[in-house]
Amino acid sequence: MPLTFGTDAWANALVAEINGSSEYKNAAAKWGDGFNGNILLVFDADAALPSTMGLLILLDRGTCRGARFIDGPSHAEAGFGLRAPFGVWRDVLEGKSLAATAILTGRMKVDGEKMTLLKHTAAHRALIACAAALDTEFPGG
Amino acid sequence: MDKLYAPLVAALEGTVTTPEQFTAEQLTNYGRIFHWTPRFIVSPASQKDVATTIAFCREHKLSLSNRGSAHSQSQLAINRNGVLLEMKSMDRMGPVDETRMTVDVEPGVVWRDLTHHLKRWGLVPRVLTNNLGVTVGGTLSMAGIGVASFKYGSQGDNVVEMDVVTGAGEVETCSPERNPELFWGAIAGLGQFGIITRARLQLRRMKPMSRTYYLLYDDLRVFLEDARRSMDSGRWDHLESWGAPCAQGTRPVAGKRQVFAKWFYPFHLTVEYDEGAPPDDRALLEGLRPYDNLYTDDCPTIDFLERMVPVFELWKKAGTWEFMHPWIECILPWETAADCIEQVLQDTPPGIQVGGHVLLWPAKGTTSRSKNFMVPPGDNLVGFGLLPAVPQRYWEEMRERFENVSRLMVMFGAKRYLSGWVNFTPEEWKEHYGTRWGEMVALKRRYDPDHILNPGFLPFEA
Repeated sequence: MPLTFGTDAWANALVAEINGSSEYKNAAAKWGDGFNGNILLVFDADAALPSTMGLLILLDRGTCRGARFIDGPSHAEAGFGLRAPFGVWRDVLEGKSLAATAILTGRMKVDGEKMTLLKHTAAHRALIACAAALDTEFPGG
Repeated sequence: MDKLYAPLVAALEGTVTTPEQFTAEQLTNYGRIFHWTPRFIVSPASQKDVATTIAFCREHKLSLSNRGSAHSQSQLAINRNGVLLEMKSMDRMGPVDETRMTVDVEPGVVWRDLTHHLKRWGLVPRVLTNNLGVTVGGTLSMAGIGVASFKYGSQGDNVVEMDVVTGAGEVETCSPERNPELFWGAIAGLGQFGIITRARLQLRRMKPMSRTYYLLYDDLRVFLEDARRSMDSGRWDHLESWGAPCAQGTRPVAGKRQVFAKWFYPFHLTVEYDEGAPPDDRALLEGLRPYDNLYTDDCPTIDFLERMVPVFELWKKAGTWEFMHPWIECILPWETAADCIEQVLQDTPPGIQVGGHVLLWPAKGTTSRSKNFMVPPGDNLVGFGLLPAVPQRYWEEMRERFENVSRLMVMFGAKRYLSGWVNFTPEEWKEHYGTRWGEMVALKRRYDPDHILNPGFLPFEA
């Protein structure tokens, strides 16, 4: 049964997916080591999403300590931000496009030390793969 | 018959062919990504033929592209609806000046032939590319880098003088001192401002024997540090390195299992020596920290220079020579090189060794004066190349990932080497050339006012 995007149930399922992923555990073993690895995914409002929302994912060296949706595009606990219109995110989460392409072409904006992000590309790919693995009902059908 | 065929043939000493005579090879290049059909292919017999063809193209509003061995992989060495100049027909080697250690050659001369030609004088070009099957005109138009570039820069840095037929149809002699604007415009100029019709190359004295130490590293950062030490030591004549994968099974990548590898780094260090005076191994290798010292090879230096010939022969026999070659080579800043290489290689399947390879080459930022051969700032640089052979049926599936490799390299501060597959937007081209771009636009206006030369790659039109 699909989980509704933007709900606590979806966020909790993501935490479980990340912590159950050997790909993420290996790829992100050094993510957050000596720096704040929490990532805020920002889904900017567009035709399908009425208002901008964020997903704060608490990440530390291969594990996820929690995730929750928040209102607005920023949060004090976030060490990094990835921001794009909801439609771009949806394509990524549905496997229609690569998050890497969105980041490298500037369609997805990076908030935080870009070089640190670039040094952990496999970790972010694994993270996105976990989100994409969830059976999701997106806003806008 | 094409109405321009007869007047073109009448104007030239060389030969002209039309589409029904073209071979499949002439419609593409080593990349096999682009397939363009020209209206005529001209094999010029002389500099005069080149000038005449340019004048003909200007008069009839035809584009003109030039081609040597066509080792490029983007929109170079091919032409659409205009004239393709097959420069291999101009392959004469002129006199050797033993005192000044120079030789005059036409652009269609293949480096391997030149190397053999010079053997009797004990001379050799200062820099040779790994693939000796490419032409002098081709690599000078690109830059031309090889395993001695850490000492001598690019092949373009070792040209004493050239004749260039500009896109305006003028035959001009240029050098770093005489008409330097055109000289440095033509070197690594991708044929945008003129066609090189003669080059006087700086040579060096070659010792008859070479000894190569085959070291292996299991740690990229240790290897890079030893590579830097080796460049600075003054002990070596040639430095060459690779990335070599050892397959480890499969692991999930974005949820799908893929073969992955532990990467090793072979480092081949070569010193030339005279017969009966072999080098002191211990002194040469002192201070280096390889994981293993695998092999020491003594051979005639001429054989060393041709060391890659069997590899290319193997690719041809195996059929991968006919695959697509979206090669992605770049020059990285020293500071970000290890991080970038690690990020790229972690996603590179070991299958890249089938008809391809991963190149690493330690380089100096201080050895090249070329204005068009863009490198990052810094005294020490690292060349890094992902050189795959891709079956045509996988191209669309893999294309985006290759594009992302290039983008990642650029984000790490790299400058792409332009013989490979480069798919820049106009903005990315301007970023690549930086302040040089404005100068190139001015050179184009001056030397190729009708924009006929080698269109389709650099975005002068944009």
